[in-house]
Order: sequence, then C-alpha cells, then structure tokens
Amino acid sequence: MNPETAVDQAREQRRGVPISPAWWLALCGGVLFLFILVPVVALVYRALEAVFAGAQVSQSAVLDALQLSLVTTFSSMVFIAALGTPLAYILARYSFPGKGIVDTVLDVPIVLPPAVAGLALLMAFGRQGVLGGALHAAGIDVAFTTVAVVMAQVFVAAPFYVKSAKTGFSTVNPELERVSYTLGVSRSSTFRRVTLPLALPALAGGAVMAWARALGEFGATIMFAGSLQGKTQTMPLAIYAGLESGLGPALVLSLILVVASFSVLLVFKILSGRTVGAV
Amino acid sequence: MIEVDFLKSLGGFRLSANIRSTGQTLVLFGPSGSGKSTLLKCVAGLTRPDAGSITIRGDTVFDSSRGFNVPAQERHIGYVPQNYALFPHLTVEQNVGYGLAGLEGSVMSARVKEMLDLMRLSQLEKRKPAELSGGQQQRVAIARALAVRPRLLLLDEPFSVLDSAIRAKLCEDILEAQHRLGVGIVLVTHDIPEAYTFGECISVLDNGQVLQTGPREEVFNHPATRTVARFTGARNILSGRVLETGNGEVVIQAGKFTIKTREFPCRPGEEVECCIRPENVMFLRKDRPEGAPVRENQIDGWVVHEVNHGAFHTVYFAAGPAADGDYRDYDLEIALPAHAYENLGLEREKHWTVSLKKNSIHVIGRMGGLGEEAAGTRFDSRGAQPVIMPAE
Repeated sequence: MNPETAVDQAREQRRGVPISPAWWLALCGGVLFLFILVPVVALVYRALEAVFAGAQVSQSAVLDALQLSLVTTFSSMVFIAALGTPLAYILARYSFPGKGIVDTVLDVPIVLPPAVAGLALLMAFGRQGVLGGALHAAGIDVAFTTVAVVMAQVFVAAPFYVKSAKTGFSTVNPELERVSYTLGVSRSSTFRRVTLPLALPALAGGAVMAWARALGEFGATIMFAGSLQGKTQTMPLAIYAGLESGLGPALVLSLILVVASFSVLLVFKILSGRTVGAV
Repeated sequence: MIEVDFLKSLGGFRLSANIRSTGQTLVLFGPSGSGKSTLLKCVAGLTRPDAGSITIRGDTVFDSSRGFNVPAQERHIGYVPQNYALFPHLTVEQNVGYGLAGLEGSVMSARVKEMLDLMRLSQLEKRKPAELSGGQQQRVAIARALAVRPRLLLLDEPFSVLDSAIRAKLCEDILEAQHRLGVGIVLVTHDIPEAYTFGECISVLDNGQVLQTGPREEVFNHPATRTVARFTGARNILSGRVLETGNGEVVIQAGKFTIKTREFPCRPGEEVECCIRPENVMFLRKDRPEGAPVRENQIDGWVVHEVNHGAFHTVYFAAGPAADGDYRDYDLEIALPAHAYENLGLEREKHWTVSLKKNSIHVIGRMGGLGEEAAGTRFDSRGAQPVIMPAE
C-alpha cells in the first residue's frame, strides 16, 4: 500500500466510514441520548398541550418575566461586550505579571455554584456588604433591584464571552497588525479593519453563549436580587414561582426558554463552523 | 541609503547592529538566528532598540540619545514578513489598497491597478489570499507594501518557500519594480546566490554581530573573517604560515601547498588563513604549448570525486600522487561550468594540474578588497569589530 492511500484511508476513518458500530456501543450511547432527549420532548409536549388547553399565556406574571428577561439580558450583553472585549484583547496580546491570576479569577464564575455567586455579590454590594455600606451612604442600593439582576447576569456570563473572545484574538496573527502599522494605519483603525473582523466569529460565538447563560440565570439572581414580579423576577424565577400557582404559565415560559436555547446552539454551531482562516 | 548603529537585547540574545550601506540594495546575510529579522523589525519601527540610532536616506527615525522614535506608521517603510501576512478576509485588490484609505477613490484605484500590473497580478483582483499560490501571495504582499510609495522595502526571506522557477521570475520582477519606483531594498536571506543577486551591498551577520559590510564583490572575494569566508561559500580555506615576503608577493606554506599571494603586510613565520572560491580554481589545459605563460601556484593531483549539478560540476581535487584513500580526503573544491567540464574532457581524464591564481587568493583579515583608491566604500575594518556603544 503506498503512503498516499494510507493517508486517504486515515482521513476517511476520521470522517466516519459508513460501517455500523458494535451493538453494545450503540446501546450505551443510545441510552444516554434518550435520557437527554426524552425530558426535552416531554416538556415541549406538555407545554404545547397547555397552550392548546388555553393556559393563560397572557397572564401578567408571564409577560412581565419575559419582558424583564429580555431587557436585563440585553443590558448585560452591552456591558459584557463593552468591558469584556478590551480585557480579552489584553489577555490575548500582552503578557504582564499576574496574568495567570487574572485568567484564573475570570474562570471562577464558570465553576462557582450560582447560589454562591449570588451570596458573593451580596457580600460585596449588599447593604451589609463590603462596598454596600459606602454605596448606601451615597444613596445607591443595588441589592433586590433590576440593577442587581443585571449584575448577577454579568458576573456569571461575562467569563464565557471573555474566554471565547480571547481565543478569537489570539488566533489573529500579530504580524498582520504589524504590517498594517507599517502601511501607515493607526492602531485603532488596525483593530477595526483587521483584528476585529478576523476575531468576529469567536466574539459572536462567545456573545451567544454568554447570552444563553444570562438568560438561564437563576441561583445568583434569587440570592442577590430576589424574585419580585416585574422588577427582579426573570423567566427562570417566574417558572419556579409559577409552580405554586399552577403548571400552565411555567410550562409556557419553559417552552420559550427551550426554543431560545435551541436557537442559540444552532447559531453557535453555524458561527464556529465558519471560522475565517486567521493564520 | 541606510545607517544603523544600535543595540537590542531579546532574552539572552544580544544584537549589535552596525551597518552603513550605500547603493540601492542591502542584503542582510547570515544563518538563522543571527539577528537579521530582528534588525529588520527595528528598521521598520516594530521593535524598539535599547540604544543607538537608525537613519534612512539621511532622515533619522530613531535616536535614543535624544529620546527620538518615529512610530512605524510614519516611517514610510514597506515591510514584507516571511509569512507574507496578507489580510485573509480581504481580496487581493483590497489588500493592495489597504494602506491607501486616505486617498481619493480614483487615485486609489489607479494606484492599485498600477501595483497589480507591476507585480503581474491582474486577473486575480477578486481572489482571497487562501485561493492564491505561495508565489502569488508573495507578489500581493510586495504590491501592498509598494502601493504606499515607501522609501524603503524590507523583505524577510522572500523566496525561502518558493520553488526555483517562481523564485527566479519573482526576483526579476522585484528588481524591475525597484528600478522603476526607485525604492531602496533591504533583503534578508541565508541563500548565497540570492544574496549575490540582490546585494549591491552585503552585510554578514552571525550571532547578533555584524561581521562585515561592503559591496558584494568585496564581501565574496575578500571576506574579513573566516566565518564570513565560510558563510559566503569560499569553500577552500587554508591555514598556513608565511615563509618569505618581497618582490610584491608573499609565499605561504599551507599544508602541502606552497602558494604565492599578492603582497600584504606581514612577517615571516606569521600564522595566516587564506581562501579561494571554488569557481576561481583553474584547470590547466594539457594541450597548451610549452611556451604558454607559466601559471601561478600550480598543483598536481587527481580528481577524487565529483557531483553533477547540471549547469556546473563540483569537482573534488586531491593534490599529490594518485590517492586511493577516502574520496573525502580532498584538498580543493572546484566548481566548473558544464561546458568547461566537457571541453576539458574531465569525464575521462582524472589526473590534472590546477592553478591558484595569485589574484584569486585572499588572505583573510589581512587584505583590503579594492585597494587604496576605493577606501571610501570599505567597511571591513569597521565591520570586523563592531563598535560597541556606551550604555545610556
């Protein structure tokens, strides 16, 4: 066998040759797949049932939660992109003492249980918190307000964006920026014309993941912002609260979240499949 | 054209650059890791030297003593890195026009078209870099750099990954562009023919030090140090001792050879090293009449090994009676054009007399290249011992 055919065969194997796997492999894999699929389908099924049975979709709690979720997650994303993009660029391009620590601290919210994150925010910005006293004296009380919802979302979701954006920036060859400078183009224009377009798929992918995380935020929000309808009760909180008053509204909100999550995943897959050839 | 005199430390590496070049093209020649690319980056303004100065066509762009540093954006220097660094999201046209954003639309498109024509890229305007061959990518990178009308074009190993046919054509086109636009070129390479083709002036670097700077003939024929002789392909480097001096010549005993060279200041008994390039060793024709002028430094011996390169042959020559030892025990490496090889009948006859012409033998570090009248263009004495600047 000549080496070229060997390479071709290896390539084909990686791609997945159409040969059926061993039955026990298929069985194990299939069980886990079904375990994940069945609850999702069940939820969608019951939710659709509830909708057709005339569940009060327009109930004010549902609409309030939907609106609040959209407003807060949008605000969170604005903050995350505005503050996270420069941070990601610095982490990708420069080395400085303590960079490893900065990197690790940014990972903490990803592994921290959300309830702990909420408690941490309370300890920092709550009325009894380390900074809360000073803020209260200045007439600012953030805990249990809509601002607290946004803060909780930024805290838990920002690392997803920063990590992805950092990877995106580091795949852009710094030589491209250097060549741009020698062509008389300023640093800011270079960022806008070269770095940003090349890192954009990674930035967008990170933004989508961060948004999904913010939309599903529950633990930190309930600890730090509470669950006040129309003020801090976002969709996940409304679902939890709704369980007491009847399943209908909770199911409808869940359906919306399932659809949202699914679309987010789809967008993410499309974006990450289309990474521009940044050498 | 360009004058650099600076120090730059990078980790454990120390670059001490000291070059003053005349002419339109300067080649930075040396093995990888010698500091060539770092020097280029310093000239482009992408890396800041620790101390010293850089002057381009009489215009100082860096001077640490005055705290003066012109940013890369304002140096007007075209920079083509080794990997071309084309903007992958832009078309050929957009890449070439990238630095022309400040110009009016019609002026810009005319300039882009001119550059595309110059670098033979017409028809490829709408392609993305990923759809181009290596040679085409290199052409786009050069067109992009030339489009902004730089004073100087810096090329980092421009031909290293291109195959020889593409290389030759691109070489011609770059020289043509240089001629037409009047731009100076600084080219980094470790390839001997490339250095010779491009370098009106050649600077040899090794391990962060400039060993020699001068016109190409001088660097190639009159290397200042043994390392320069080795890098520039002198091939035959002989260590010897001065026997006697006088009558406008010096007699040197180098191993089994007694050779005469042109005169240079020395005393009998002094240790010297001399070199002769493979193409300068001459085979003496056997059919020459007895009355022909006596050749200098005749050596009798045998061809012990040869390699056919097509256009020329490399012949390994051992002096003395027929050697039946290892063919690697040769004394001289000789390069012969294919036609000379044919004419001499080297294929059949292996017993020869060769001549080392007095003028072709260079005593390393002792002989100036061009004599007194050309002292103005000689840098070897300065280049051999780079000036170390005071720390600031």
